[in-house]
Amino acid sequence: MVSAHGERAVGGAPPAEHRNLLPLKILVAGGFGVGKTTLVGALSEVPPLSTEQRMTSLSDGVDDTSIVPDKTTTTVAMDFGRVTIDDALVLYLFGTPGQSRFWFMWDELARGAVGAVVLVDLRRIDDCFAAIDYFENRGVPFVVALNEFPGTQGVDDDLVRDALAVPEGCPLVHVDARDDASCTRALITLVEHALAHSG
Amino acid sequence: MSVDRRQRPQTEGGRVVPNYAFTAGRTRSVAGTDMPIEALVTATELGLAKAPGMPPEARAIVEASTVPQSLAEIGALLDVPVGVARVLVSDLAAEDHLAVHLPLVGADGRPRRELLERLLDGLRAR
Ligand SMILES: Nc1nc2c(ncn2[C@@H]2O[C@H](COP(=O)(O)OP(=O)(O)OP(=O)(O)O)[C@@H](O)[C@H]2O)c(=O)[nH]1
Ligand SMILES: [Mg+2]
Repeated sequence: MVSAHGERAVGGAPPAEHRNLLPLKILVAGGFGVGKTTLVGALSEVPPLSTEQRMTSLSDGVDDTSIVPDKTTTTVAMDFGRVTIDDALVLYLFGTPGQSRFWFMWDELARGAVGAVVLVDLRRIDDCFAAIDYFENRGVPFVVALNEFPGTQGVDDDLVRDALAVPEGCPLVHVDARDDASCTRALITLVEHALAHSG
Repeated sequence: MSVDRRQRPQTEGGRVVPNYAFTAGRTRSVAGTDMPIEALVTATELGLAKAPGMPPEARAIVEASTVPQSLAEIGALLDVPVGVARVLVSDLAAEDHLAVHLPLVGADGRPRRELLERLLDGLRAR
């Protein structure tokens, strides 16, 4: 395997031991209370941190060109965690809120991402449609991960795929967001999927 | 700002990798929104030498960055939005007090294949 060099440092010259450092990111998307923070926390080597991202957007009515575009600024809090992969690669997981009106502001966040895990609570499936649509339209590799809350197990996968309109070829996995091994398997499935579609 | 874009071909395991592999994607200024939230920051020797005389926030960033920190982590450390962290980091990088490690993406805007393979190996070894 060819080893990649991460020598794209800008600013000053980094110390030798940091010369090959490279960040990677995976997004964890889904509706309120679906388990995003839990999943990030299960995988992260540090307790999940929180950061604020200020996002400027056109408010509702963007089609109406007769009025001055009304800019609104929204501050979105994001959880994130960190997973050291090897001596050079550091993976960041960003838990991102799933309200559909935020999605189009997320291009910056999705840019360069390995892919996304769309977390789904089968008791509230409507909450994940915006995320699935977004990643599908933007060509961001993603997996749909059913977070198995009590009472949501045992539903037939084909029924779920149908109900969620999961695109063909997009993996569907089951997770317990509290369990590191379970979440790791979901990430492995995502990376395998991303690799299958990588040039 | 000294910007190290590695314009010359790189030798990797006997294979010469063309420039575009390193310059595709985000290659413009690191100021503004061009520094993604996952960009990693490390302190330079110069930065560490100058840190004691820096304003508190700059000093905190440089000293924390002896261990690589993402822009997101800098924001959390200082309890400021990512945009504010980005400006502070850009300024420090411009003075060569920090090195910023950007993600490496291919022409399709996604991480290069060999990175995905390394990521997969790393995850499987967990
Ligand atoms: N039984 C069970 N409970 C879970 C699981 N994942 C999360 N929970 C619980 O569900 C609740 C919500 O989880 P969070 O991780 O906070 O969800 P979130 O998506 O970050 O929520 P918001 O950030 O508020 O949108 C918490 O009480 C978790 O303990 C799971 O896999 N199984
Ligand atoms: Mg949360």
